[in-house]
Amino acid sequence: MGVFEGALTYANLLALLALGLTLTYITTAVPNFAHGSFAVIGSYLAYTLLAAYGVNPYLAVIPAFIVGGLIGTVVYQLTIKPLIRKGASVDMLMMATLAIDIILYGILGAYSDFLSEAFKRNASKFVFTNIDFTVGSVPGRVFVSTALVIGTLIGLYVLLYKTKFGIALRASMENPALAEAMGIDVEKTRLFSWFLAAALAGMVGAVLPFLQETVPGTGGFIIVSVFAASIVGGLRNIAGGLIGGYIIGFSESMVTYGLSDVLGTGVLVYGKVVSLLIMVAVLLLMPEGVTGTKLWRRLVG
Amino acid sequence: MLETEKVNAGYGKLQILFDVSVKAEKGKITTIVGPNGSGKSTFLKTAFGLTTVYSGSVKFKGKEITKLPPFKRTRMGMAYLPQTNNVFTNLTVMENLKMAGYILSEDEFRERLELALSVFPDLKKILDRKAGNLSGGQRQFLAMATAIVRNSELLLLDEPTAQLAPKLANVIFSKILEMRDDHGITVLLVEQNAMKALEISDKAYMLVSGRVFYEGRPEPLLTEEKFRKHFLGVVEELEVVEDGSV
Amino acid sequence: MISEVLQLILVWVGIYTVVNISLNVEYGYTGIPNFGRHFAVLMGAIAVGGILNRVLMKLLGVSGDLITGTTDLVSRADDLFAAHPVYGIAYLVVSLALAFTLGAVMGALFILPSSRLREDYLGMTLLAMAEVTFLITYYTPSIMGGYYGTSVPDPLAFLSGDSREWTFIGITTLLALLVYLLSERLLNTPFGRLLRAHRENETVVLAFGRNLMGIRINASIIGSGIAALAGVLYGFHALNLISSSFSRVEWTFYPFLMLLLGGRGNNRGIILGTAIFVTLKVLIETYKFQISSLLHLPFEPVWLEYILFGIMALLILYYRPEGLIKEGMIKTEPLKKREAGQ
Repeated sequence: MGVFEGALTYANLLALLALGLTLTYITTAVPNFAHGSFAVIGSYLAYTLLAAYGVNPYLAVIPAFIVGGLIGTVVYQLTIKPLIRKGASVDMLMMATLAIDIILYGILGAYSDFLSEAFKRNASKFVFTNIDFTVGSVPGRVFVSTALVIGTLIGLYVLLYKTKFGIALRASMENPALAEAMGIDVEKTRLFSWFLAAALAGMVGAVLPFLQETVPGTGGFIIVSVFAASIVGGLRNIAGGLIGGYIIGFSESMVTYGLSDVLGTGVLVYGKVVSLLIMVAVLLLMPEGVTGTKLWRRLVG
Repeated sequence: MLETEKVNAGYGKLQILFDVSVKAEKGKITTIVGPNGSGKSTFLKTAFGLTTVYSGSVKFKGKEITKLPPFKRTRMGMAYLPQTNNVFTNLTVMENLKMAGYILSEDEFRERLELALSVFPDLKKILDRKAGNLSGGQRQFLAMATAIVRNSELLLLDEPTAQLAPKLANVIFSKILEMRDDHGITVLLVEQNAMKALEISDKAYMLVSGRVFYEGRPEPLLTEEKFRKHFLGVVEELEVVEDGSV
Repeated sequence: MISEVLQLILVWVGIYTVVNISLNVEYGYTGIPNFGRHFAVLMGAIAVGGILNRVLMKLLGVSGDLITGTTDLVSRADDLFAAHPVYGIAYLVVSLALAFTLGAVMGALFILPSSRLREDYLGMTLLAMAEVTFLITYYTPSIMGGYYGTSVPDPLAFLSGDSREWTFIGITTLLALLVYLLSERLLNTPFGRLLRAHRENETVVLAFGRNLMGIRINASIIGSGIAALAGVLYGFHALNLISSSFSRVEWTFYPFLMLLLGGRGNNRGIILGTAIFVTLKVLIETYKFQISSLLHLPFEPVWLEYILFGIMALLILYYRPEGLIKEGMIKTEPLKKREAGQ
């Protein structure tokens, strides 16, 4: 696979993840450290369907979306919402999401052990690359990931600009107090944002193993890039997640694939160094991210 | 319409209002004036349910609402328009109006929208503009228009003319009169721009250090020295500007 | 068996107390949510396994690199220390000093990009930096053996068996006590109050003309330096260093859990929280096979450990976020004197 194709796939997936992270950040004011693990849930669901029923993981995108969304909802209702009600501070909420990540890691690890036993093969590490289809010389994941992004953007556009609930969601994201005063059920918009963010993550998770090796700890591995993407794009605006995802996704991939010719595997790590450096640079020069700059505001008007 | 009886309220443990009893009669414009920090804004917030009430009662349309959460007061017909942050800047004018009519049916909304736009026809030309790109005056119009859409019977206006040029301030005041005269809306107004506000009021209160210092007709506040000195600074400035001599 | 369990508990209480106090300085007092605590601990390990190993290899004329040469290094160094205990102790002291320095310097560097950040950004940034460092160290064998790991000499090679273990526990406990006393000394001063002011209300700090960034750097220097010490202790406990041991779960999440449990901002509470957690953890790990067969677990018990501690953290956050022992007033010398005089 060419460098650009790999980069595009990764950037597509990262953009969707960062979009979700930024969404829950805006609505509930907490960066969700468990967001990466939401995706891995989707990966393991896809793997289960593949191993048990021979279902192509691409088809698992739909159940992964639904299951991911459900888990996000449960996590929000059981942990985040009660803590916010109790007046928990940001650091306590962050710690809660860290705890949730550990719990999910434990569950995924346990599940992978169970799967390994059940299917008599190693489920603690898997990859779908070899069963991907190709169109010409271009692997299917390029098309699928791009389609997912386009589909999500269209869906979001219709939701946020053409439906009353979507406008209310935008209103709640901007000014929850005012929205509340208008009689909008802001709590419902928060719940929905966690559903949507986790659903998108699950969806991404079903496709991710086509690109890279997946283990129970992949969530913790990928969250670094998601944070970098959201910060670089700007956490105040969901468009930021998208933009940051592409910036970080491409930079990381270019470095990774570019260097792998020279240095071999394990070079994935150095891509993350690039993401980190870009993130630090943005924090120092324009802490509000790309969508927080005057240039952006002028462009969008 | 709105009646508070010996209300003691504040923020957390910080008490701002002391035994405040205010009556805003239906279909009338009631203005609250007073020096900075006298608790005028806090009073409006208390009427809407945004502060801690230690004792006393708040009644709206005859019903006891002291413990009622703000969004329920909205649904009862109360509209609170703070000084800032009173519109959604990322949404268009039309979207803002739609949000104001969130709990209405399609038909009800269309009716209320027509009404609101008849009071503020200037908004018709800028329906697709983002609220954040509106001028200060246009934003206030929009904020008040949303209150009309919400079918509000009582408007709590917190310094609507602050930071507006005098000409624009006059337009706001005439709109307030229009809302009372043509649409029977009750207005409870808090203003720093006291003179003009008092001129259009039916009843006036003056708060000083969280207590009711005066209750009655607005005229004495404008003419009698013992009251004027409490908001002398602002009034003097206004007079100079309106004379056109500066 | 009991004696071994007790030994494990004591040594880990010592090690974790050091880490937790470091986290208390940064988070409990200064309010910096350092979700990258494992970074500084790793620095301590690198000081020993990366730097000192190389130095010793040069000194003792051992050939090879960190991966191929360590067996040779360890046997030669152990022989040396066994014959001359003074060198062993010196090695220990140098390790601690170097680790503290490296940790302190790196801590200061790493907090630099955070000058204007609020807690949420801080949390994300510090975690990201720690994770990337962790990954680089794992995949770059030339730093500290990478995924092969590297062995380190035993400074107490002149002892063996139980007496070695108990001596090591003694040293660890002593160090933990030292760190505890010094930090109590440090924090019950106007400096401590300044740190707390940073946590409570940054605006007030600025209003008083204090430098926010300076406070953060100071807190990081102290915190990271102390945490690095724990890395050294762990290294000499395990005698084998592999960077994957310095994971986020073990060295950031668990310390936060212990802080939460005992009560943040409160050193006494930390010791209590550490003791409770470590006892639980050691028991679970020692008896994992028994637990596994008793519950018929279709998976490794380590996953259950993660799930349990994760749930524990959530429960504490909801039901008792202030911890078992509540934070007290900062008692500076004048206050203490007044209290004593009453």
